[in-house]
Amino acid sequence: MVKVNRTFRSARWPAVVLAMVVVSTESPVASANDESDYYRLVTILSSKAPTGSRAKFWKPPPRDLVLEVSGMAVVDKKRLAVSIRKGEVWFLDGVYDDPPKNVTYKRFAEALHEPLGLLKQGKSYLTAQRTELTRMTDTDGDDVADEYICVNNAWGVTGNYHEYAFGPRLDRNGNLWMTLNIGMGFKGNQRSLMVSNKSLGVSQARWRGWGVKVTPQGKLVPVCAGMRSPSGLGSNRAGDMFYTDQQGNWVGTNSLHHMRSGAFFHHPEALASMSLPGSPIKGIQAIPGGVPLPEAVKRLKHLKPPAVWFPYKKVGQSATDIVLDDSHGRFGPFDGQLFIGEFTLASISRVFLEKVGGEYQGACFPFREGLASAVIRLSQGHDGSLFAGLSNRGWSSLGTASYGLQRLVWTGKTPFEMKEIRARPDGFELVMTRPVDPESAQRLSSYTVNSYTYTYHSTYGSDEILKRDLAIRSITVSEDGLRIRLRIAGLREMYVHELHAPGLRSRDGQPLLHPSGYYTLNRIPAR
Amino acid sequence: MNGIPGSRLGILGVLAACPSLWIAAAVAAPPTSPFVAGFERFARRGDLDRAEAGRLLLGELGCTSCHAPGTTGPHPKRGPRLEGAGRRLQAKWLSRFLSDPAGTQPGTTMPDVLHGVSGKQKTEMIAALSAFLASLREDFAKLKSTATRPVAPRFHDKGDPSRGNRLFHQVGCVACHQPDAAYTVRPQPTSELEKLLSQLDPEELKELGLGAAARPFPSVPHGDLANKYTRQGLAHFLIAPESMRPGGRMPSLKLVPDEAADLVAFLHPNATARSLTDPKNTPDLVTAGRRLFLQFRCQSCHTAGRGLKADPARKPPPPLSQLNLSATDSCLANASGRQPRYRLDKQQAQSIAAALAAKPAPLTPVLSLKRTTLKLNCLACHARNGSGGLGPKRRGYFETAGHVDLGDEGRLPPSLDGVGGKLTTAWLVKVLAGTGDVRPHLQIRMPVFPVAEVLGLPRQLATVDSGSDAPAAKIFATSGTSAKSLVTAGRSLVDRGCVQCHPVRGERLPGVVGIDLDGTAARIRPEWLKRFLLDPASQKARTRMPTFFPKGKTNSPDILEGRVDQQLAAFHTYLADIGRQPLPEKITRNKVDNYELVPRKRPLVLRTFMQRVGRHAIAVGFPSSPHFAFDARGGRVVEAWRGRFLDAHATWFNRFIPPAAPLGRDLVTLPAGLAVNRLSANNAAWPDALDPVTGYRFGGYRLDKSRVPTLLYTVGTLAVEDRIEPSPQRGLRRTLKITTRSDQPAAWIRAHIGKSLQSREAGGYTDENGLTVSVSKTPGRRPGKLVRLGGLVEWRIPILVTSPITLEIDYRW
Repeated sequence: MVKVNRTFRSARWPAVVLAMVVVSTESPVASANDESDYYRLVTILSSKAPTGSRAKFWKPPPRDLVLEVSGMAVVDKKRLAVSIRKGEVWFLDGVYDDPPKNVTYKRFAEALHEPLGLLKQGKSYLTAQRTELTRMTDTDGDDVADEYICVNNAWGVTGNYHEYAFGPRLDRNGNLWMTLNIGMGFKGNQRSLMVSNKSLGVSQARWRGWGVKVTPQGKLVPVCAGMRSPSGLGSNRAGDMFYTDQQGNWVGTNSLHHMRSGAFFHHPEALASMSLPGSPIKGIQAIPGGVPLPEAVKRLKHLKPPAVWFPYKKVGQSATDIVLDDSHGRFGPFDGQLFIGEFTLASISRVFLEKVGGEYQGACFPFREGLASAVIRLSQGHDGSLFAGLSNRGWSSLGTASYGLQRLVWTGKTPFEMKEIRARPDGFELVMTRPVDPESAQRLSSYTVNSYTYTYHSTYGSDEILKRDLAIRSITVSEDGLRIRLRIAGLREMYVHELHAPGLRSRDGQPLLHPSGYYTLNRIPAR
Repeated sequence: MNGIPGSRLGILGVLAACPSLWIAAAVAAPPTSPFVAGFERFARRGDLDRAEAGRLLLGELGCTSCHAPGTTGPHPKRGPRLEGAGRRLQAKWLSRFLSDPAGTQPGTTMPDVLHGVSGKQKTEMIAALSAFLASLREDFAKLKSTATRPVAPRFHDKGDPSRGNRLFHQVGCVACHQPDAAYTVRPQPTSELEKLLSQLDPEELKELGLGAAARPFPSVPHGDLANKYTRQGLAHFLIAPESMRPGGRMPSLKLVPDEAADLVAFLHPNATARSLTDPKNTPDLVTAGRRLFLQFRCQSCHTAGRGLKADPARKPPPPLSQLNLSATDSCLANASGRQPRYRLDKQQAQSIAAALAAKPAPLTPVLSLKRTTLKLNCLACHARNGSGGLGPKRRGYFETAGHVDLGDEGRLPPSLDGVGGKLTTAWLVKVLAGTGDVRPHLQIRMPVFPVAEVLGLPRQLATVDSGSDAPAAKIFATSGTSAKSLVTAGRSLVDRGCVQCHPVRGERLPGVVGIDLDGTAARIRPEWLKRFLLDPASQKARTRMPTFFPKGKTNSPDILEGRVDQQLAAFHTYLADIGRQPLPEKITRNKVDNYELVPRKRPLVLRTFMQRVGRHAIAVGFPSSPHFAFDARGGRVVEAWRGRFLDAHATWFNRFIPPAAPLGRDLVTLPAGLAVNRLSANNAAWPDALDPVTGYRFGGYRLDKSRVPTLLYTVGTLAVEDRIEPSPQRGLRRTLKITTRSDQPAAWIRAHIGKSLQSREAGGYTDENGLTVSVSKTPGRRPGKLVRLGGLVEWRIPILVTSPITLEIDYRW
């Protein structure tokens, strides 16, 4: 289809072509409301079969390029640079071809220790290895790196497997941001390489569980702490930096956090580095564990709730990368929103953020499932499509493969979705992607709303607690059918508000592609 | 989907009367008589004694649920647990089923309890029973979604029918159920036996005694799944059949939720199937249904929530021993309509009569084993003593994973001939518990049965097959050969033969697919192992396992003087300890071929964790060796070695990243610490890189045209370019290029450090480990001096960096 499109474009008949394309994409299974009608997956490479991703003797199939994508950088209209977990960077040319039959692979860099990110900066590429933020440059023009410059290596590494380092991402001031996992299950002499905070009784290697930035001069600046397994970071359109965390001890469910100086998010072991020079966090003397999160936030002023909780299983169960849809509509109706990779369920979620009382909060939604393996990296191509880098080694995921690279392409059809959920003083405003059928939108029984929060404790994950069903008092639908105001009794700050709208229909009678949204209402706006 | 339900069971009656017609008998009406797999396959053909066949029915039809079996009668098969019926069944199907069980689900063993009523009364009873069942709404088991077993929300709706189709035909479903006619089977290599069978007609087969193996057998009907279950109900049933059917006649095939969903998509295309409506608004109807449930004695076979007890005032049905076969008012004759109606055919009725008339046979191990395998239908997949097995029509569905040609051994479930003499009882327990799978190449899976049903099997098999408990020490005579020699010899023997077909501890030669030798000693009885090694075919007909002792003589006369008993002992000694012993040589070499970094044309770098170098290790390997490893955090060249470089597997693919270890030989420790430093005084302690005051900072490395790295670092205001590569003397040559700000030119080189340093005539010093260091191109040709500090001797050379200077340090060992 795209080939047809191109041919016609070169003949300068774009309008006609678009019409044709739309018609022809609609014809098959037009009645089924399926994610693939709106977002189509193109597989660029995937391993032939899944393998026991946790096996002690894990091996890729022989002679395969083990494309366990760990970082991606969009280079130009042909080329994508990809870092892979075994420690190499490859240039992939022809990745936008559809079908991608003639993709070529060229190795740019090698001998890296589990790099988990890739950034192009000028002529160079940057990656966070386990022990070093490294700048790789090809100085003689043969597309092979010959300089591996250490930008910074001032964080601690005991050798524990869980001490992953992610990044970098660039901010407007030229700082390179990274996140550092905490270690788990220490062995042998690893403990001797830690720092401790005696009064809190916590130990980790230096800056483990922290978000840090490396200045253009190469200095490491610790920014915020309390991360558990921050496997994705990225900025929104305003340039603010976020990271995702993964459910586990101290982390009730997966979450999205705004990284800002002095913030403490949840995992106390990160505070082992609190008294090191440079720490912007001071004076935490006790951790209010074992209480509901809103109570913990009250008791500890440093503790900042996440901008978005991803309720477990409902919106993924292991959040990874963050990518901004910066395509101004070429990826569909969600321009400016964030897309979040999902490891275990091999899917992608979607996030809408707004600022209330000076802090970010917002809603998450399921977006697209059915990828070939765990989504650990996301990157937006020059045409707006999303590259999904896949690898499930070490854990496990749904899907048919152990690793690979796929591209998610908008088909041009707009799904009927809750594009945004916005908090209002007395309820929520839903902003829709397409006009609603007013009758279904006015009907109280089209919706259900409930709210809950999580326990802040050292146990793995948390149930949804203090759950309450909420009543909708009244509904107003805008004239254009794109906005629905729900007035709701009993909103609670710091609670997730879960909205289901199974009865809602679009003007042409379609139900929502995803009938649920989950708003993390840290603050109820005053106006 | 029409081809799936097992509806082609026509052979039953026809076959019994007219055996020679069996091939022609393909399609006929669905059976109305209850279908009991063991009966249909064996009793219909007279392979089973009539009274035994009847006894099988008495248990499988649940007769002894009502008629107490006494001490000698069969245990009844329990009916489905109904606690969650309201969530898994569909309303229409349930009404039809209650109204006519056998007509709705052909072959069902559920009797018709309502045949005595009709019209409005029957309709009302069905409504009440349905309401009661609908009120039973136990939740489905919570499937914990974990990192290793992810479960998608509404997973049961997300299956892929084509994957389900493949699973249905590959993992074992069609060992019992009807395959889809449209499913195409990949042609399998034909075995000699199959060739033979295909050329013979039924009479000839019978004469050859091959009738039973060659005969197709009817499929277990599974009814109209799409109209019976909800998709969620079916998915949960497939994942844990025992949770709904406690008898385990449908065993668990160890399906993960995803696979169950795929099967559901294939077997149950009806995504809109709704479960029974919760009858919370009609409590009276539920109560009435509950009363009927008890009245018809449904609770005898089914559990359906608490508090269901037979009315003690009612007279219980007579025990099995007091049944009167000639009574008109019996389940068999059923004139009054008060008894449940079983729709037994003539042969079934006669068999039951024979069983009731027969004197209890003495319960020998052979007999109990036979009864267990019959009722659990083990012989659907496994052959034993010439009967059972998949049969000619089903064999073709089962392939070897990856389509490797391993013959029937590699695609069909193993024969159970003598299995109790082969496998240890402990291992058989594991096999039956579902944790003893050693044939990853089989697509068909060994199912898991309820523990209670298979409890006695391992011991029964051991007894019947005379499994020897003799310990290895008794079986394998070692006559004085040391354990160490036996292990070494065993490793060589395994290396010569076994590794060509068997993996060892997950490692294998290219293309090898087979049973891993790890755990052999835990699985196999020593006595059987010995006989098998000596002559494989004697223990396992048509095995591909070759003999290493043709005519009882070894084909490795060079090992342990060619003594057969010693070699057998060597095999066992090595295999018994294979988890800790070094892998066989060929496998070690192959492992290296895959993941060893071999710098063939250019130097190779690996950043990794190393035991002595630490976590910031940069290992550099050269085609001509030696290789070295540098600690980027400590600014020190730590060690060097010759020969093989490194194995990268752990660094690349092991989740727990154990440190990489030098593979080669001549490992040497290079002089500790920074090579270049500033000193506050001539005899001051050499500053450590990890001390922030030293101002050490690693800067990365640069590769030149020949891909040799130059390490870059600074020590305070000293900038160092440090290039290390093999020297002409088969050592390493280190070229240091140092620059600094010209206002601070004084600096020091520490060329060597050791407990003792011996001066060499040719210049330089040798330490206690034999490492000789010499320095050439010293700027100003100052020889430096030896400084004693803290029990060590240091060779320090002062330098003046007024302009960029270069010096070379040679390491030899």
